[in-house]
Amino acid sequence: MKGLLPLLAIAVGACSSGSEGGAPRGRSGADDPDRPKILRVAYTREIDVLNALTSQNLVDIQFSMVEGLVTTNENNEYIPVLAKQIPTENNGLIVVNDDGTVTMTWPLQEGVRWHDGEAFTAEDVCFTWRFVSSAGSQVYNRNQYLGIVACETPDEHTVEFTWTSVLGYYAGLFEAILPEHVLGGMSTEEIITYVPYNRGDALVGTGAFRFAEWRSGEYIRVVRNDDYWRGPEYPAIDEIVWSFIPDSNTRLNSLKAGQHHFGQIEPTQVEEMAAVDGYGVHLVSQNSFMHFDLSLNTAHARLLFGERDVRQALFHAIDRPAIADLLMQGTVTVADSPLHPSSPYHNEAAPSVAFDPELANRMLDEAGWRRGSDGIRVLDGERFTFKMLNRAGTADRIAVAQVIQAQLKDVGVEATFETLESAAWTQRWRSGEWEALVSAWFLPADPAITGLYACGGPNNMTGFCDRELDELMVRSDGFLDFDRRKQALDEAQVSLAASARSLPIYYNVVPEVVSTEVGNYRGSGTNFGSFWNLWQWTLGS
Amino acid sequence: MTAYVGRRVLQIIPLVFGITIVLFAVIQAAPGGPEGALLETGRFIDPEVIEAYRERLGVDQPVPIQYVRWIGGAMRGDLGISFSTTRPVSEMIIERLPATLELMGASFLLAALLAFALGTLSAVKQYSWFDHLGTGFSFVGIAMPVFWFALILQLVFGVWLQWLPVAGTQTVGATSVTDHVLHLVLPTVVLSLRYVAGWSRYLRSSLLVALRTDYVRTARAKGLSEVAVVCVHAARNALIPVVSVMALNLAGLFSGAVITETIFAWPGIGRMFVQAMFARDYPLLMGILLLGSVMVVFFNLVADIAYGILDPRIRYE
Repeated sequence: MKGLLPLLAIAVGACSSGSEGGAPRGRSGADDPDRPKILRVAYTREIDVLNALTSQNLVDIQFSMVEGLVTTNENNEYIPVLAKQIPTENNGLIVVNDDGTVTMTWPLQEGVRWHDGEAFTAEDVCFTWRFVSSAGSQVYNRNQYLGIVACETPDEHTVEFTWTSVLGYYAGLFEAILPEHVLGGMSTEEIITYVPYNRGDALVGTGAFRFAEWRSGEYIRVVRNDDYWRGPEYPAIDEIVWSFIPDSNTRLNSLKAGQHHFGQIEPTQVEEMAAVDGYGVHLVSQNSFMHFDLSLNTAHARLLFGERDVRQALFHAIDRPAIADLLMQGTVTVADSPLHPSSPYHNEAAPSVAFDPELANRMLDEAGWRRGSDGIRVLDGERFTFKMLNRAGTADRIAVAQVIQAQLKDVGVEATFETLESAAWTQRWRSGEWEALVSAWFLPADPAITGLYACGGPNNMTGFCDRELDELMVRSDGFLDFDRRKQALDEAQVSLAASARSLPIYYNVVPEVVSTEVGNYRGSGTNFGSFWNLWQWTLGS
Repeated sequence: MTAYVGRRVLQIIPLVFGITIVLFAVIQAAPGGPEGALLETGRFIDPEVIEAYRERLGVDQPVPIQYVRWIGGAMRGDLGISFSTTRPVSEMIIERLPATLELMGASFLLAALLAFALGTLSAVKQYSWFDHLGTGFSFVGIAMPVFWFALILQLVFGVWLQWLPVAGTQTVGATSVTDHVLHLVLPTVVLSLRYVAGWSRYLRSSLLVALRTDYVRTARAKGLSEVAVVCVHAARNALIPVVSVMALNLAGLFSGAVITETIFAWPGIGRMFVQAMFARDYPLLMGILLLGSVMVVFFNLVADIAYGILDPRIRYE
């Protein structure tokens, strides 16, 4: 028995003796020229596979190793990477043929080599197109590639696509190029399930960093590509380590302890982190917007939301500035359009729905919805009550839903909650068997919104169908000319707001914590993420 | 004894078979499917891609067919291919098992050590200040939410004092054992707390009963030292209920600690289970649950055998 106490003392002593060896390391050593410059990132999750085209996660880690024809910068613009320039009608690289087909020419960078020394050529681009457009390729936007009917290579550094007709989103395609000399000869299924490439051992890209190591559940490590095509001075960092830290509180603690140079935190953690020396907190506005959707799919939903004025009245009851300023602590801005203000296609003139509970009450009264004895409105014996579908684990969406619930109650409308776990939520959403929900979409830099709002659009699960809006959106997709496309999209944004079918609430922000030792960070809110220019990043003074 | 063990091992086969049917049915009954992972990022997804994805994974087939395929493979030692990573499930489990075994093993050892000390001292010194302190500690330990305790330890030892790393298993680039052990300290302490609290209570109460029995009085009358009376005579009987609980907890060695592994970014089975659950990665879920089930059954058997060793009056027939 007595022997236990010394053992306890040893155990406690062992813990205490850790004080010297366990000092934080994230902010040390970057200025020592003899030590490798290692960028440590506290990453939000462990990714599934390293194939940037078949991964079902956001693929910003992959883009450190793999490059595409284009990427998007901090201004929400497409910029060329492996392409020398992006084809347009003005630069003569897009030609409309007499038979209505379109020839699009992409001039490619020269002197680019894959990590294994093989030359990157136009054949790799055509190979990537054949894979993506093949049946079952599992690439999320495969349908956008189907307009291409032929890929030719006039020379090693030129790719020529023939389109049946070009759609406006062409510039956002080919975000990653696959190496034909590694994956060529395999079937689509074999490429998708090719573990050596998915896991990194056989992964070769043209990017500034090469794959080095993936420790399951812990981190992915990449090292400098000494043969990077942009020149020997790039990249300026020797290694990057993405540690998988799914818990947001742990990420915050890890950053505060100085163990990482970069990490994403929650908007509610901004104030706490802003007080920590050696870091800057950047609120990166995302190409993603929170919105309140109504449905017309069920008979009950049609009864409640069938009339435009009733929907508009509900929207007038919701105080979006208060949600942005108080609930989200002023970190976000109110949205009036699905298109982000940084997009050149954003329409400033899209109607904004003012918070006006008096007007909401009047409109509901005029629509025949009168307050019952319990304060909830009634029409023909039907109470104005509906169910909002919440996704468990999304604290921000649920908090917004709670505010909406409270504010609707003030105008005599009852909203109850049904909360489902993520996968179950998705299944219900896809089935259309819901009445209302708060959700968010993450858009690429391209402004096409047809899939989201068109009648029967692949991502329109609301049951709403507006032929006039459809015509505007489809027309906008077909324009290559910026002015004509913008005009059509401007009208579509106005029409969408006027239909009162979905209320944009705010543009999401992701607070990114960046060490002051990091240079050339330019946060981007597109689906390419903030690592789009890692080749330029520096570490140390 | 040998016949008993042989019979029990044979009983395990249909039991595990039945468990797999229940597990498969429960997993499939959960709403949503693996295609949910495609939409989690909020990107527009081509619906044809979703259908092709379901078809490739085989989840478009009726559940009984999916089960027959899975059990057929499992009987040949093939637990299938993970939906999300495209890797063999058995490989993924084997890869993560050492981290889980290490963390759980360390916390078990620490917990056993502390629980034995606390439980025994509390019983021997009943109603003393130490007993009251131990009782208070146990209640706090049982009641304290693991995630909260973990975050507080991170904050105190990782952020304020900066004595210990906040998360992970090793500082990148470091290869020393010391560095690794330092990473192990916080998750081990968090995990062992609930075991210490529970086990010490069991031990205290059963030891209190044992200390009032005739054979203990006889042992004292023989003039044996108090240590011999408590540790040799009383503790052996008092350990039986504790061993039952510990044996069941031991099965958790292989299934990991979901919350602790997630908070401390520890690359174990528990964290992988959470990821698999959210992704509806059925083969990976089944693989992990099968391992956990087999271990529960196995350690139940171990507990039954241990009773006989601890108490010679128990006979196996």
